[in-house]
Amino acid sequence: MPFRFIVTPRLCTGCRTCELACSFTHAVNGKPGLSRIYPIDGGFKDLYVPVTCLQCEDAACVKSCLVNAITRNEETGALELNAEKCVKCMACVAACPFGCALIDTKNNLVVKCDNCGGDPVCAHFCPTKALEYREVTDKKLKSA
Amino acid sequence: MVNLTINGKLIQAEKGEMLLTVIRREGIEIPSTCHHEAVEPFGACRLCTVEITRKDWDGWKRYVTSCLYPAEDGLIVSTHAVEVIELRRTLLDLYLARSPKAKLIIDMAAEYGITKTSYEEIKDGDDCILCALCTRVCDEMGFHAISTVGRGHGKEIAPPLNEAPPDCVGCLSCAQVCPTNFIKFEDKNSTRKIWGREFELLKCEQTGRTTITKEFAEHLSNKRDIPIDYFNTNDETHRKELAKTMGRITAWGREEE
Repeated sequence: MPFRFIVTPRLCTGCRTCELACSFTHAVNGKPGLSRIYPIDGGFKDLYVPVTCLQCEDAACVKSCLVNAITRNEETGALELNAEKCVKCMACVAACPFGCALIDTKNNLVVKCDNCGGDPVCAHFCPTKALEYREVTDKKLKSA
Repeated sequence: MVNLTINGKLIQAEKGEMLLTVIRREGIEIPSTCHHEAVEPFGACRLCTVEITRKDWDGWKRYVTSCLYPAEDGLIVSTHAVEVIELRRTLLDLYLARSPKAKLIIDMAAEYGITKTSYEEIKDGDDCILCALCTRVCDEMGFHAISTVGRGHGKEIAPPLNEAPPDCVGCLSCAQVCPTNFIKFEDKNSTRKIWGREFELLKCEQTGRTTITKEFAEHLSNKRDIPIDYFNTNDETHRKELAKTMGRITAWGREEE
């Protein structure tokens, strides 16, 4: 997994451009979908943390899915939810300890971040580069 | 890889792949109600019927449900032949006689030019088309709480002995996958009613919102090795907690607001 989605909260201004970008990228039937990324107040002054799926190694959503609808895309390293397979039992939504599997109530779907199939659009739109999708050169990060 | 012809177009497919998957991938729309990716194909609704033939069949044809027929080398498939359309029209006509109020059936029939059934409408006809998708999904999830009961006219979907099913955990998967939205449930004040049973919904300690039932959470925790305290708070609170933790790490040494 040479490419990683890197979030640097100290650069985030909370402008929520990523939310817009995500919503429009994951549109359903021509209407904006639910954003998979949320800059949330980090508890300090002017500190926002863009919260999105961490693509865990031993993920609770994968374990909780009884129909195996969530699988890892070996190319991008992201966990992808197969909407065709999903039976909307909401197990992953309840199980994710980071709250990053979401219910799109308008379109009756369960959604989660899939790194846009290897080219996250939010990273392109982030004006301060708090979100980046790049090759990890740091040896420590690479081995992790 | 195998080569087959669909509607006159040469197409490659994986060996053993079902025809319906190949047809849908090619962007050809054919109706089906009982198909779902999560479960094995079943062939209950028969709406995905297509015409197949081969060069060496001397003009003989077969009508098969595409969801159950694997792609083979040299197969010639026709998804919208006159006979196929006539078959689908008959089926939809019959479905409309059984479930005259089901929106999905009305829409599908209208697409094939049927607005009123030519058969006698069943007086107490309900929206259930007996595709058994709910029972198959329930089996796939490992609960086996409901099944088809009876035969012929009396066939229906029900829990065993028509009593509140002891194996049900109230995950709502059956109601969510039902193509005609026939399975009814009720979510009210942190209780959920389905199949005549009442479940307690887990309430988030901070927001008071509910996601899944207590029984389902216990099942996941026992069978799938997920800590039970993951279910105590809902996704919104989880996100806030994550932001707070990451914020503390980022602003190491700064004074908290």
